[in-house]
Order: sequence, then structure tokens, then C-alpha cells
Amino acid sequence: MSFWDSLLYDLFPLIWSGMITGCLYALGALGLVMIFKCSKVVNFSHGNVAGLTAFLVYGLSSGMLMSLSWGAAVLVALVAAVAIAFLIYSIISPLVFESDLTSTIATLGFGLIAQGVTLLIFGADIVALDLPIPRFAFSVLGLLITGYDLTVLAVAVVTIGALFIIIDYTKLGIAFRAISENPFAAEVCGLNLRSVHYFAWITASILGVVGALLIVPTTFLSVTTVATFMLQAFAAAVIGGFASLPGALVGGVLIGVLMNLFTFYVSPEYSSTFLLAVILVALNIFPNGILQKVGGSRV
Amino acid sequence: MSDQATHMTSDQTVLLRLSGLATSALTTAVLVAVLIFMPFLLGGSWTFTLGLCFANSIGVLAVSLLVRYGGEVSIGHTFFTALGAYSVGVLDTRYGISLWASVPLALLLGVTFGILFAWPSRNLHGIYLAVTTLALALAVPEMINNFDALTGGYEGLYVATPFIPGIDMGLQRYYVALFMLVIVCLAVVRLRLSRQGMALLLAKTHPAAADAFGTRRVWARISIMGISGGIGALCGATLALSGSTVSPGGFTFWQAIFLLVGSVVSFYGLSLPRVLIGGAFVTLVPQLLSASGAWIPVFYGLALLGMILLGHYMPRIRKAMARKSEVT
Repeated sequence: MSFWDSLLYDLFPLIWSGMITGCLYALGALGLVMIFKCSKVVNFSHGNVAGLTAFLVYGLSSGMLMSLSWGAAVLVALVAAVAIAFLIYSIISPLVFESDLTSTIATLGFGLIAQGVTLLIFGADIVALDLPIPRFAFSVLGLLITGYDLTVLAVAVVTIGALFIIIDYTKLGIAFRAISENPFAAEVCGLNLRSVHYFAWITASILGVVGALLIVPTTFLSVTTVATFMLQAFAAAVIGGFASLPGALVGGVLIGVLMNLFTFYVSPEYSSTFLLAVILVALNIFPNGILQKVGGSRV
Repeated sequence: MSDQATHMTSDQTVLLRLSGLATSALTTAVLVAVLIFMPFLLGGSWTFTLGLCFANSIGVLAVSLLVRYGGEVSIGHTFFTALGAYSVGVLDTRYGISLWASVPLALLLGVTFGILFAWPSRNLHGIYLAVTTLALALAVPEMINNFDALTGGYEGLYVATPFIPGIDMGLQRYYVALFMLVIVCLAVVRLRLSRQGMALLLAKTHPAAADAFGTRRVWARISIMGISGGIGALCGATLALSGSTVSPGGFTFWQAIFLLVGSVVSFYGLSLPRVLIGGAFVTLVPQLLSASGAWIPVFYGLALLGMILLGHYMPRIRKAMARKSEVT
């Protein structure tokens, strides 16, 4: 009896809340995978830039820099995110076509700068950023479902749905797929690699902002919050295979649930170590991602 | 006769190579001689800082070696430095074992863990190793703090046992670090000239040719990670001695990135002067900027980008200049 009780009162709510945060990890991972799929660059600045924009929303809406309404602040932050993504890609685009390793290191440089700028403007203090989310809660089959959960689900479903529709049906999306399949053939066919890269970087940046803003209510906002959030996104991308968008989605949800179970049942103090273990195990068992069919791979 | 002729030519190429090495060896020798006399000219605090520079240089070398021989990026070499530093620190403070025993042990541990972390990503593209090492760097401070019975947690350990009894500790911290750095640099030169080093380089630049000669890429990848991990651990052991304290603050995620930045700043050089530039950058910049902490990441980020862009545009500019001077 007590076993069932613990299952009902601990396990199911843990899985549910893990899935909710997992959706946000998936948003981060999708951005990383989009950039990697077409330009072969691992964007290590993803988390820090998203963190900077989350702080921007805080600064603009709390009266620290300005006191705009929340919607206007988010809009400004999104514009800033697009501008930063545009700037970063513009600076490193000559490197992208030369060496993916060099450009990957260059993104670390941007990450450092973004983190430093966040420190310079907003300081190292921890702040609380509230989102205008409907506050209600009801319980279904013993699960407590809050307005926050539903908002996250709705935003994630809409954003990811829109992303997949864009990639599947629009001209830009087809160009994106063509380039990630075979950049040389795509270029011969007259596609402009750079414009598609810009599309991927800017979309990724927007996904990062959405993910960062929605994760903040569950923790507090500090310089490192979003960077640690992005570590989970990296782990999700690795589990998904780093080159598969659906894989990133599955990996994100999986990481969310696993992390929640681990921090509850084992220890919250070893969360980074646990993530490291997950990455190592995933690389050994699913080297090409969890959605990849086993066998038939050529090395 | 023909046999002898081939001997002659190979001797000549060896001579040519040696003459090339001789000039760089000469500058290195002069540099080492100057560094040996430094403590007599400088104050104690500078001697201490230079000792740290030498230790960090070894770490920069470990990262550069991985890039040069393996084509891999590590953002987590603090794991290896922490491993080396703590194996020295723990053996010294808890068991009173001298550095003569703990430094080889640190090296062994570094090699083992390097191989262990390269293994899961042995068949994959380099980014997987980069992401794994990123996770590694973030996990290090956590592990140190949670094993506080052994590591001393936040407070750290104090390493006070001398390497050679009876000599002033301040001088010892300087000279042992210098000695370690020179030894590691010499070992890397030996590696470059050895068959193993050639095979590793071949596996990186021409994988197909390496396969044809029977050098397996997986072996190359894992062994270079092992070597780099071992050198990383030596860096940690040296840091423990010349810094005299071992605490989690020295092995944060930042420190891991700084080592990579140092390696980029020295243009992944493996020679003593280049490596010293990287080590000095890693050691001195945080000291110079210590009053304005937030500027440190910005400065490092700009330096990283600046060096990468310089490396990209410099050859082009030089070529364009050469063409212009040819025309006029």
C-alpha cells in the first residue's frame, strides 16, 4: 500500500513536472541542433546569450533600466536576441566555412563576452523574474496541474509545431534541409548557404529566449542559471544525436524526467555529475542518437 | 653502395632538421637560462607568480597538444588538473607521502581518466568530446565539494612537504615548476620526432593513409587523449606545489575555459616560449583585472575572438601584402 502511495504521490508528479521542464530543455536543444545541422558549429554561447536576454526582460520590466510592460520588454529582448545572433554569425561566418572546430571555439568567446556583459550591467545578484502566467491549479488523477505547466506546454507545442511546419513546408525550411543533407549539392543548385545559416542562428536564438524565459519561474535568475539550463540542453542534444530535431525533442523530455527523478531520489548535489554520466552512457549505447536505427552504420 | 647512399640522404635530412631545431633549441636554452636566474633579480611575490605561470603553461600545453595531435577541443581540462592537484594534496596532507611518489601517481591517474573519457566518443565527431568535457568541467567543483572528507571541501588542502628537503620552499616552488615545464616540453619534442608521434599526426591529417599503414584512428584518438590527460594531471601536481594550496576555486568551469583561451592565445604552440605566453596570459590577466571581476570574462572572450580572427585574416593580409610588393 505504501509503495503505491509513494508511486502516486511522488513518482507520477515527478515525471509530470520533469516532462514540463523537459519541454524547455528541448527548446534549448532544438536551437543547438538547428545550428549544428546546417553550419556544423556547436554554439557554446547559446545559454549565455539567452541568459543575457532573460536579464534584459527583467531589467526592462522591473524598472532597473526602464519600466516597460512585460510584453514590450519581451519584444525588445527578442529583437536583441535576433540582433545578437545576426552579429555573432556575421563575425564568425568566414570561419564557419574554414573549420568547424575554430568556429566552435569562437562561440565560446561570444559566450564569455555575453556572460561578462550580463555581469557588468546586472551584477552578480540573484533576482526573481515573474511571468504574467494565470495562477490556477487543479488536480487530475492525483496530479496537480498548474497554470504554469499548461502555459509551458502550450508555448512549447506552438513554438515547436511552428518550427516543424516551417522546416517541412516553407521554401526556407526546404533549403535548410537541403543544406543539412548536402551543403555542396545545395550550393551547386543555387542556394545561398549564408542566408540559411542566418535563418538557423536567428531561429535558434529565439528558441533560446523562449526557453530561458519560461525556465526562470522555476528557479531564480542569476548569471549562471541559464548556462546550467543549457548544459541540460546539451545533454538532450547528445542523447538525441546532435543532428536530429525530433531526437532533440525526445532527449529534452528524457533529460527533464531523469533529472527530476535523480534530484528527488538520490541527491540534488550531484546534478552536474549525473548529467555527465548520462552523456557518457548515452554516447556509448546510442552513438548516433536515441532515434537512430541500430546497425548498418559505417564508420 | 646504394644502401650507403640512402643512408647519406637520410643523414642529410636529419642534419637539416637538426639545424632547424638548433635555432629554436638555442632560443629555448637562453630562455631557460634567463628563467633560472630570475629569482635572484625579482622579489618573492614575482617568483611565486612565475611559478604559477610555469604550472599553468603545462596545462596550456596539454590542451594545445590535444588540438595539434588529435584535432580535438577540450573545455574540461580542469578535471585533469584537479585530479593531479588533489592526488598530490591528499597524499601529502593525509598520508605524508612525498611528491616523488605522488607525482607519478598523478600522471598515471591522468592518463587513465583521459582514456576513460575519450572511450565513449571514440568513433564520433570531435564535438562529442567537447560537450563531454564541458559537462566534466561543470561537474568538477561539485565532486570536490561533495567528497570533502578527502578533499577538504571549500577549505582545500595545504601542501607543505618539500620536494627536496633542506632547500627554501619559496625557491623550490619556483624551480620545481620550471623543471617540470622544461621536462614536459622536452618530452613533447621527443614525441614529435618519434614514430608514435608521426603516426598520431598522420591519423589526424590523413586518416585514410593512416588506415592504410595500419594506424587505427580509434587508437590514435584515445592515446592522444591519454597523453593530454597525463600532462594535464602534471599541471595540477605542479600547481599544488607552487601554489601551495589546493582548493575548488582553482578548478572552476572558468579555469577550464581560461586554459583553452591560453592555448588559443599561444596559437596552439608546443614550444617553450609559446607555451609560456599562454601560461602567463592565464595567470596574469585575472591578477591584473582582479579589481574589476566582471571584465575578466569580457577580456578573455575578446582575446579569444581576436586571436582566432587574427589567425584567420593574418595569412590573407600577408599574402596580399606580398603580392603588392611583387607588383611594385
